[in-house]
Amino acid sequence: MLTYVLRTLLRMAITLFLIVTLVFFATRLSGNPVDFVLGEGITKEDRDLLIAYYGLDSSIGTQYLRYLSSVFSGEFGLSFLERRPVSEIVLERAWPSLKLLLSAVCFTLVVSIPLGILAAIYRTSIIGSVVMVVAFLGYAVPSFIIGILLVLIFAYTLNWLPVIGDGTALHFIMPTLAISGMLVAAITRFTRNAMLDVLSQDYMRTARAKGLPEWIVILKHGLRNASITLLSVVGLQIAALAASGSVVVEAIFAWPGIGDLLVRSAILRDYPVLQFGVLSVAVAVIVINAVVDIAYAFADPRIRLAKG
Amino acid sequence: MTKLLATTALASLMATSAFATELTVGAANVSSYLDPGRDHSNVGSQFYYNAFDTLIAKNHDTTETEWQPGLATEWKLIEPTIMELKLREGVKFHNGADMTADDVVFSLNRMYQADFPPYQVRARDRLENFEKAEKVDDHTVRIHAKRPEPLWETLLNLQQVMIIPEDYTKSLAGDPDKLEHDDFEAFSLKPVGTGPYKVAEFVPGQTVVWERFDDFWGEKAPLDKVTVKHIPETASRITALKTGEADIVTNIAPDQLQLIENDPDMKAVGSATALFHVMIMNVNHPKLKDARIRQALSLAIDRDTLNEALWGGKAVVPSTHTLKEFGELYQPELTTFEYNPEKAKELLKEAGYDGFEITYDTAPGYYTNGLLAAQAIMEMWAEVGINGKVNVQDKWSGNSPDMMTRNWSNPMYFADPFGCFGVMWAPNGPSESEGRFNTDEDYAKSWEQFRYSGDIELRRAAYAELMERIKQDPPMLPLYRPYESWAMKTNVNWAPKPGHIPYVLDFRAGSISFN
Repeated sequence: MLTYVLRTLLRMAITLFLIVTLVFFATRLSGNPVDFVLGEGITKEDRDLLIAYYGLDSSIGTQYLRYLSSVFSGEFGLSFLERRPVSEIVLERAWPSLKLLLSAVCFTLVVSIPLGILAAIYRTSIIGSVVMVVAFLGYAVPSFIIGILLVLIFAYTLNWLPVIGDGTALHFIMPTLAISGMLVAAITRFTRNAMLDVLSQDYMRTARAKGLPEWIVILKHGLRNASITLLSVVGLQIAALAASGSVVVEAIFAWPGIGDLLVRSAILRDYPVLQFGVLSVAVAVIVINAVVDIAYAFADPRIRLAKG
Repeated sequence: MTKLLATTALASLMATSAFATELTVGAANVSSYLDPGRDHSNVGSQFYYNAFDTLIAKNHDTTETEWQPGLATEWKLIEPTIMELKLREGVKFHNGADMTADDVVFSLNRMYQADFPPYQVRARDRLENFEKAEKVDDHTVRIHAKRPEPLWETLLNLQQVMIIPEDYTKSLAGDPDKLEHDDFEAFSLKPVGTGPYKVAEFVPGQTVVWERFDDFWGEKAPLDKVTVKHIPETASRITALKTGEADIVTNIAPDQLQLIENDPDMKAVGSATALFHVMIMNVNHPKLKDARIRQALSLAIDRDTLNEALWGGKAVVPSTHTLKEFGELYQPELTTFEYNPEKAKELLKEAGYDGFEITYDTAPGYYTNGLLAAQAIMEMWAEVGINGKVNVQDKWSGNSPDMMTRNWSNPMYFADPFGCFGVMWAPNGPSESEGRFNTDEDYAKSWEQFRYSGDIELRRAAYAELMERIKQDPPMLPLYRPYESWAMKTNVNWAPKPGHIPYVLDFRAGSISFN
């Protein structure tokens, strides 16, 4: 078990190191902040003055080494534009994004697991087909289209829901629906397939033969076994969403989240914020994967024992 | 006692319901920092006028130049290079401190004698002629210029020399009695001024909240509270107006105006912004050294058609680098730039243009309609036989020797040709120092007269000479003054005032009302 944990940690460390390096060089390739907002209408000498003030005048290798050593000592630097610690800026924005992510995950699980089970049980009837068509649509339509349609209907036309920010519970409805579309579609399909696999197993027949009511057979024997497959899929989907999914949706709903922050920092070339922001998202994805791994082990005794 | 309670309750109820006026603004962009000294961006300009004052104020209702007392009540030249100003008494900063001559000297010298790089950069082009400010007594200061200054009032009305508190600023970072660079950095997150609104909350890039400052020296602010929220998407900004989440929204694209005009709940106001979108041409590019080729590039562009197609005819196409905000220095009678495809063809022939490719750099979304204009310009160039190619990239290429042509903007930083053309095209200014524009002794001589002459007629004549130089050996072409719109609920009466620099959100007394 210890070697397993150590190996996992080492792999995480290497992944993070690669991400830090990649982001560092990718941002530097795209110009510097003085070329953009800070530098409109100033002379070359003044440009150099600002570049030096922001510590961008040394060679890229030196900057990289300086950055690495500060990262190892837990210092992620100050934003070029706001001149306060990037950790403070990113944390300020992480919570709204996390709330939205949790909201979307809860909604997805509550909706798509029953739908998936329904689609599996009624796979030959019209119910099954309708569920699958809807799921397919959800998968095919991008989140920003769903978002804009929701805004058009429920805010612009009907004026039922607020569109800006994360102030109240009502504010969560449209962004949650918008980013859940793809997730609901994916999880519904996976639930259906997993259930179909399980439904044809011998132990299901045995359970029925014992005279258990059908709903107990489905939920206890069926879903429990299907959940093993589901867990890893849900984990991957959430991780993908955390990494990329909400940038556009946050822009549409003026959500004060990390997606909005990353876009702005990229446009303004605020490297320290961008670096720490991407790193934080990467850590979040790695943590989610680790949590899923553990949950997986709990759901399936065979894995727990094999890894021991 | 019961009666007293009831009266108090009633009074507070009335105060909140009947008289409380709050406003929410949905802005396409919110600043990352708020310090009037270091900033001259279009995004930043929105936020300073409500919270800060200058020594000399200006009537913003007109494009005519009309100076008014600000934090200084009187000012006079006591020597050709020394201005003495009497300061207004009883002025308070938002933190409760009294404004004294020390604060004024501190604010001015932070720019005049800057050693903080963001201030140095901002002061260089416009405040170079100012040596120092000094205190005479608690309510009198003197400002020393290096040489006689024809633009005293203009340059004391700048956003960059708005007044900030000395003790407060010094206390922000490190040693509370010492001035460090970090004090200025900290100030830009917790700004304090003397204006009718204080900045009650500032989340960089997200939110600015102004609250009425009851100790303001002048006419009290008409609103209790204004919240500016960042709403990046145009569609969401318009929807926020519709749902009542915003009262005013900024930066409405020209193609969205119809939607707003057709809706009884909303209206739009706009103006041709006091800035030019320009095309710049690298005079030192080996293939563009011949002025005739650059003249042809300019003559081939039908700017009126660009205006009709991209701005619905609402932009303004200039005949020379001039804006009506310049007052007595507005010179629309000069014709430096025109559309003449026949002449363009002739010039190309004379110059022996052999069809080599001419690139035009543009960022994908930085300027409204920037990419569309670039594509249309390629078609216009093709009409006269120029082989143009749009090069879409995010990076600023104006300092690259390989840059041939690209788009740029020349904002009016203050209402004088020195504050627009002058900032960008001065000898050794940004354009020349980036190696894409050359000046010589003659240019510098005309420049001297334009910048420092005390005689308006001589300044006008010198500016005409500079424009003639630009015409003969063109480094740029102003395309148009873009049209910028704000949308609001029908019951809000607000419009950008003609005497401001671009984009100022002015909510002072007399600037906003409700039906």
